[in-house]
Amino acid sequence: MMFDRHGRRKIFSHSMTVLSGLAVVVILVPLVAVIYEAVVQGGAAFSVTFFTQRPANPCFAHPGIACPLGGVYTPIEGTLELIGLASLVAVPIGIGAAVFTVEYGRNRAIARVISTTADVLSGVPSILAGIFAFTLFLQFDKAIVNSTLDGSLALTVLMIPIVTRTCEEALRTVPESVREAALALGISRWKISVRIVLVTALPGVVTGVLLSVARAAGEAAPLLFTIGNGCLHPLQGIDQQGCALPLWIYWGATSATTNWYTLAWGAALLLILMVLAISITSRLVLNRTVRRMRGG
Amino acid sequence: MTEDPLTPSEAPRGYDLEVRHLTDRATRMGEWALQMVHDGWRAFDQGDRQLAQNVLDRNGRLDRLDDEMEHAVIAFLVLRQPAAVDLRTAAGLLKMTTHMDRIGRLGYDMGRLTTPVTGPRESPELRTLLQRMDDVVESMVHQALEGLEKGRVDLARDLFHRDDEVDRMNRQAQRTVIAEIGTNPAAAARLASLILVTRHFERIADNACKIAEKTIYAITGQRRTEYLPRQTPRLLYDEPS
Amino acid sequence: MSVDHLSAYYGEVRAVEDINLQIAERQATAIIGPSGCGKSTLIRCLNRLHETLPGARVEGKVLLDGENLYDLDATLVRRRVGMVFQKPNPFATMSIYGNVSAPLRFNSRLPGEEMDRIVLHSLKRAALWDEVKDRVDAPATSLSGGQQQRLCIARSLAADPEVLLMDEPCSALDPIATAKIEELIAQLKKDYTVVIVTHNMQQAARVADYTAFMYLGKLVEFSPTEDLFERPKEHLTEAYITGRFG
Repeated sequence: MMFDRHGRRKIFSHSMTVLSGLAVVVILVPLVAVIYEAVVQGGAAFSVTFFTQRPANPCFAHPGIACPLGGVYTPIEGTLELIGLASLVAVPIGIGAAVFTVEYGRNRAIARVISTTADVLSGVPSILAGIFAFTLFLQFDKAIVNSTLDGSLALTVLMIPIVTRTCEEALRTVPESVREAALALGISRWKISVRIVLVTALPGVVTGVLLSVARAAGEAAPLLFTIGNGCLHPLQGIDQQGCALPLWIYWGATSATTNWYTLAWGAALLLILMVLAISITSRLVLNRTVRRMRGG
Repeated sequence: MTEDPLTPSEAPRGYDLEVRHLTDRATRMGEWALQMVHDGWRAFDQGDRQLAQNVLDRNGRLDRLDDEMEHAVIAFLVLRQPAAVDLRTAAGLLKMTTHMDRIGRLGYDMGRLTTPVTGPRESPELRTLLQRMDDVVESMVHQALEGLEKGRVDLARDLFHRDDEVDRMNRQAQRTVIAEIGTNPAAAARLASLILVTRHFERIADNACKIAEKTIYAITGQRRTEYLPRQTPRLLYDEPS
Repeated sequence: MSVDHLSAYYGEVRAVEDINLQIAERQATAIIGPSGCGKSTLIRCLNRLHETLPGARVEGKVLLDGENLYDLDATLVRRRVGMVFQKPNPFATMSIYGNVSAPLRFNSRLPGEEMDRIVLHSLKRAALWDEVKDRVDAPATSLSGGQQQRLCIARSLAADPEVLLMDEPCSALDPIATAKIEELIAQLKKDYTVVIVTHNMQQAARVADYTAFMYLGKLVEFSPTEDLFERPKEHLTEAYITGRFG
């Protein structure tokens, strides 16, 4: 009989397989589409000058009227400055909080408070980080409201929870036997935490830092009203207006000009490549360490 | 003819059963040895050559039982690595079977002395005395084996008193024999054998005491010096009658 | 070393009750007993490791050379009383040399030659030198289980303790590695006081001069090993060592 028990199960199983296959396709399509567009449109912008020149003034491409492209030097420089500053603050704080939670907090309430705070913060919409940084600087000194410094504060707020959480996870993967062994040798607690446990968990920590950097590099919302727009001129000090790749994508894509539009695609492709590079690097680092910890 | 004491039994299961099994095997070996003593004396006393030969033939079995016990105890030691009471029991059994072997051997020796009693022999009084020695000694061996089988420390301890009695009977018998050699020189050869026989009885009793000693050690862990008064060794000449 | 009315708790649960024990200097003392009898907890009180667990508590005293270890700084105590664990736990990120020199590098400042000398001495003491002398910079994880355990012993010895505690050191090892370590203990006890927790009675019989039997957190009997195994004084001890329970 066609619809007996066995037959029905087979049909069900087959249709499930087909459906899940379809789901994969549905996920892949937009991803592939985006990458394709980025490569095609952005690749067109790539050249030596793309990396070395500042963006040219906005213009339309008409036959007969020159419309130079320029490059995305300032956005790149700006992003690097922002990430650098943000990491300088976020990484020590994040690692410090993680070490405290895992090594000293254990069952104490404060550890759970820190953990929960980090969890909550990581869920905060990034634009709020921007508002926070903007408002804070407004209180202190109106002059530096639109600056790289301001933007880096926003990014710091975004990075800290990521660093804390991933570092916490990494520290937790260090087996208790390591701490026990070190304790039994009469090594002091803080040395164990910092020089042994943290070192053992270092690859995980590095991965966490890299991930937070990748995230920060790709955020546009918190920078919207914190760094101003200094992309067309050489970047001055950090208390001056700054520039960033993701923000440039926003401006370029929403401008009605052709050269800026093209530069935006180029920046998008560059950003995708950067994030990809960081992800792959962190994945490799993690794999190498896992193998080493297992005894190689 | 005595029956074969060792019937084939199934392998013991569990620790306790093993120890029980070893003890039972030792007890049965002891009974085999005791029977050799009983028949050895009877053969000598009655001049029964056939019985004597039968006793001699049983010695091979005795030796085999001794070897088998040793093997069984060593297997128990190496496989179970026993401690405390089980260890003491195993070690004790190892030595006890040596004493049992000696007891049986002494029965064998008595059997070997058997001659036809058609000619001149010892006086009826002497014969009765020796019979009594046999009764006492056999009963002692039996008591030692019972103490071992049932784990009765009291039976074991009681044996040491009876040993003194045997020593006295031994000295008395030897004096009587020596006196009779003078009055009954024709039976000198037989009387000379009687000296050996009394000595054998004394040795059998001593071995029975040794079995008791080891039984007490197995059960309580006490060694001889902890419960017996020290005896100053004396020359036979100086012993009280 | 002596233990004086020691009790240890996990929160409200008392795992070890009123232990009084004299541990002979430069001898090996074994602690045996069924699972859950508190022997591991007891030994962790001797180097103050028990109290590092959340909610754990210790009452009573542990005296070493007359001083109560619970009156001293815990970290310093653990340098005098070392411990080797059931599962070998060398530092995976360090080399063989790195592991053995760890107590030296973290607890003191020593010149390189001095450190080399101590590392060499410790590895020799732990009967590992011959097997690793040409690869001291290899990662610790490249050693076999038995070698790793001896590495951990060498590491503990490098800290120059007075007492060496061993918590079932051979449980995770094969018979040959176990035999090597037992042999090692026979040598070590000439210079160190060794306390070994073991669930293997035969090991205690082979290795220890004194044996303590624990049951349900209490010390039931403590005697020279030969006496305890031939003629135990307590019924409970006899029942355990003849395999009637546990």
